[in-house]
Amino acid sequence: MQSFFQTLVSGLSFGAVYSLIALGFSLVYRTMGLVNFAHGAVLMTGAYLASTFYLSARLPFAVAVPAAVLATGVVGLLIERVLRPLESKDVDLMLIGTIGAGTVLEAVAILIWTSSGRGVPSPVRAAPLDVGGVRIPVYNLVVIAVAAVTMVLLTLFLQRTKRGAAMQAVAMDPEAATAVGIHVGRSNAVAFAIGAGLAALAGSLASPMLFVSPTMGDSLGIQGFAAAILGGFGSIPGAIVGGLGIGVIGSFAAQWFQGYSDLVTFVVFTVLVMVRPTGVFGEKTVNRA
Amino acid sequence: MSTLVVENLAVRYGGVSAVRSVSFTVPPGESVGLIGANGAGKTSTLRALMGLVPRAAGTARFGDRDLGKVPARHMVRLGIGYVPEGRHVFAGLPVEKNLLLGAYASKWDSSCRARLSEVYDLFPVLGQMRGRLAGALSGGQQQMLAIGRALMARPVLLLLDEPSMGLSPKLVEVICSALQRLRAEGLSLLLVEQNAMLTFEVTGECLVLENGSVAMTGTSAALRDDPRVRKIYLGL
Amino acid sequence: MNRLFAARRPLGLAALAIVAWVLPYRLNVYWISVADTALLFALLAVGLGLVMGIAGQVNLAQVAFFGVGAYGVGILTTAHGFGFWLAALLAMVAAVCAGLVVGLPALRVQSHYLGIVTLGLAVAFLDWVTNAPVTGGDSGLSGIPTPPLFGVGLSSQYLYYYLELIVLAAGLAFGYFVVRTSLGRRLRAMRDDALAAGAAGAEIRVLRMIAFVLASVYGGAAGVLYAGLIHYIAPETFSIADMFLLLAMVIIGGRQSLWGCVVGAIGLTVAQQELINLAAYAQLGYGMLVVAVVVFAPTGLAGVPSRVRRWRLRRRSGISAAALGSFSGVPSSGRTGAVLEVSGLVMRFRGVIALDRVSLRAEPGEILGIVGPNGSGKTTLFNVISGLYRPSGGRVDLDGRVISGSRPWRISHHGVARTFQHLRLFGNLTVLDNVRMAMDRTRSWWSWRYVFWPVGVWRHERELSRQAGAVLDAFGLAAFAGALPHSLPYGIQRRVEIARAMASAPRLLLLDEPAAGLNGDEQRQLAEIVRAIRASGVTVVLIEHNMGLVMSLCDRVVVLDSGAVIASGVPASVAAQPAVLEAYLGTTTLPSEAS
Repeated sequence: MQSFFQTLVSGLSFGAVYSLIALGFSLVYRTMGLVNFAHGAVLMTGAYLASTFYLSARLPFAVAVPAAVLATGVVGLLIERVLRPLESKDVDLMLIGTIGAGTVLEAVAILIWTSSGRGVPSPVRAAPLDVGGVRIPVYNLVVIAVAAVTMVLLTLFLQRTKRGAAMQAVAMDPEAATAVGIHVGRSNAVAFAIGAGLAALAGSLASPMLFVSPTMGDSLGIQGFAAAILGGFGSIPGAIVGGLGIGVIGSFAAQWFQGYSDLVTFVVFTVLVMVRPTGVFGEKTVNRA
Repeated sequence: MSTLVVENLAVRYGGVSAVRSVSFTVPPGESVGLIGANGAGKTSTLRALMGLVPRAAGTARFGDRDLGKVPARHMVRLGIGYVPEGRHVFAGLPVEKNLLLGAYASKWDSSCRARLSEVYDLFPVLGQMRGRLAGALSGGQQQMLAIGRALMARPVLLLLDEPSMGLSPKLVEVICSALQRLRAEGLSLLLVEQNAMLTFEVTGECLVLENGSVAMTGTSAALRDDPRVRKIYLGL
Repeated sequence: MNRLFAARRPLGLAALAIVAWVLPYRLNVYWISVADTALLFALLAVGLGLVMGIAGQVNLAQVAFFGVGAYGVGILTTAHGFGFWLAALLAMVAAVCAGLVVGLPALRVQSHYLGIVTLGLAVAFLDWVTNAPVTGGDSGLSGIPTPPLFGVGLSSQYLYYYLELIVLAAGLAFGYFVVRTSLGRRLRAMRDDALAAGAAGAEIRVLRMIAFVLASVYGGAAGVLYAGLIHYIAPETFSIADMFLLLAMVIIGGRQSLWGCVVGAIGLTVAQQELINLAAYAQLGYGMLVVAVVVFAPTGLAGVPSRVRRWRLRRRSGISAAALGSFSGVPSSGRTGAVLEVSGLVMRFRGVIALDRVSLRAEPGEILGIVGPNGSGKTTLFNVISGLYRPSGGRVDLDGRVISGSRPWRISHHGVARTFQHLRLFGNLTVLDNVRMAMDRTRSWWSWRYVFWPVGVWRHERELSRQAGAVLDAFGLAAFAGALPHSLPYGIQRRVEIARAMASAPRLLLLDEPAAGLNGDEQRQLAEIVRAIRASGVTVVLIEHNMGLVMSLCDRVVVLDSGAVIASGVPASVAAQPAVLEAYLGTTTLPSEAS
């Protein structure tokens, strides 16, 4: 039982990170219909920026992360500008275009930071909490808390602010949004930048738990993407549930199947997608034959 | 107050001519109808006016502004409200948020609140449903919402595309009387409709389109009694 | 084998073959190993091109097929002592099984969903080979034997080059054979418009599986050859980065052209070797190239010549409508018209009733018009009859046989053809291929002939071409046989769509707003064509809002309003009914009668 909870805690902390990644995917998909396969690379960029600010510029972690989030948001604006001609066009081309953008980001990261990668020491030095024999690293709690606060803030932004409402309106009906005076292109760019910022947040939060390297986004990105789809692409509660779900599945798969966790996770994921292509909270219908 | 002047408007999709040389004027406070069967080019005319589809030829002026140079999202600032065909409400947002987005171009302040209650006064059912998601409304309620949303920006000219589509006769009457009330308040209307009888009730003047061209024009009262309208509709 | 291609450019092909054959004499040991790698990537790329470019199925697991082939050979030869070629055969079988597994999700999801699922399965495969004892885990498998060929060991990289070259040439030839004949035409049609392809008789699900199997055969073959070439395999060769590199090859070269895939693969492999010490710059380069290609030239390098040609054509005069011939009667199909009987049909979408107990009947040799205001359910009715929707209630019979609820391809094979309100021609198929695709009445399992009886495929193809030529002649479209639909004036595209529908020799023809966008002259020609189709005995049902045309063309008219039939009968009597006037003109009746 103890080890069950231990695994659960670790699954939930990674799940929180996946949720943030999935949230970024979903936000961009929901507003632009763009499936951003570069999301993992954007996340990696954010993680490198944060670790550079933290380790080289010696900024406090709590300052380095927001700085990295902002900087990565700008990178997101740049990508959006380049790929803008593809919006509302062929979905397959968009998919490939974002893969290309991800490849570029990865190459740039290798050129700047080399391909060897770096470890980031945990910014929280307190000893792990002991709850009934289950050891919970304090940093994991920080990650879960930051992710939760971010999601609340994002929900508030979308539901309470004018810009957030406009962004949702663009997602639901770009033409009607134009007719009431919303600048659809600008709204999309902001959505993409926020998505990139969320990826950067996920990446920098994950960096003390993992290892920062140019390819770290590959696996994290795919897991986050799977989480977004599992929860129902485009839905915020779906992203949270999907992220936690993938985190917990992965964590238990690692516990029970050792090295085969990816194998188990993705086979389970494939079966779930085939059984229910719209995900847990999904409403959008998928392409029919 | 500004006059809408449309001259020789034409719309083409790829190689297809949807509208060929349509001209008309909507003076301030007046109400003009564009009627005709499916595919006559009514919706294309309206969408071209809004800048949602490119114009192949012709000009459209609103007061001293050339609408050809105004992007679609700025139409609302000129005082042109647009109610799209098929309603196009923001289905996943609550009714009140839909209405507030109608006033996106202005501040969401007390005057906006006042406008909101005017819309609820015009369509009381929207007030009762203000917290409901727009997608959960019936077709008629969505139509009222789409009109209300356009009214939130306090337009001087309202473009309506088939507001009666798919509605029961009773709901058509509700929409009809709302439009009459708006007209009485001095709003200019450009009404695109297949439902000729509704249009004759609400407008002072009408154009009958057929295959992208103007087949007839006249006052609504005269057209109502003209058997040729029926022939154009039914292809007799 | 590939006569179409060879007939056009026999000299170029021969020159290419000679260059490829003498190339090893000019290469040192280093570059011959590069060439060997390039040919393997080319083979992989052709497989990816077939599934993504030809069949339109996003497949990010091609590298896993490669891995299955390589590991299959590796495990069977090193751990079980199999001979190379027997191991190779079994590894190919395993690769095909992998293709079937990866293709399975394509039955349910498409585009980006399929992308992430296939990518996930590729990661799962990678995870397995990295961990399983049987694959040697991280350290991989070594000591894979060299394939013997007629007693000769192919240990020399020079000799191995020729083995690879022959396999690639055979793979390309077979690929082109598929692409340019019945099966490939269906795959391309499915890529351009899966819905229209289904309505024209293509079994979409089977075709998707075939596409993945094709990709897995090429991937598996490349894997087998790789194992025999390098003698050592490890997980990093099958990484996601390599998958994306492979994708870049196919996209840059041109995914819809097999030659493009080959050129992209060879070009990128060579460039990578040249920049081996600047790997990050190489990656930067091909990443930017992919983005640029996707934004500016989606058809890749291979698509550039045809884009230039089209641009020059457009600058000169474009295709002139004057080349349109006159319609000269419907080619007889030997099939008679069918009785369509729709009874109590109900269609609900999330509580909204689109069709409300619709009943109607159409007889052979008559034209039935369906009219009604916007949103009255006309197109929904067609979608149910042609199998795109499964009705919520009621049934559709064709000659007394229930067809409602069947899949579109099956209904097409029962003899129902349709056109669409908004043209749905296969955009990247020529006019001739659009017609041949619909004319092809074989089932998908017929495709076994590609492997075991290619001559049969050729004969079938010749027969199709002959008949399709006759259809184009009859519809006056012969001059446009080689044109892509979008390059034609709209009125001609409309006629092509009718010709395509008639190519399947239907017994019931559904025309959805065939006159939309046509000018007066074209409308007259349309009426002539539809009358000729009626005269040939085919039952015709048409939706039309051009009431003049409906009145003059239709024998009977059914009026729909809010999903229900409100009137039916001969046109003149229907037009006089008050309910019809109300539906069209509004809720109040006109005060005066027509003169």
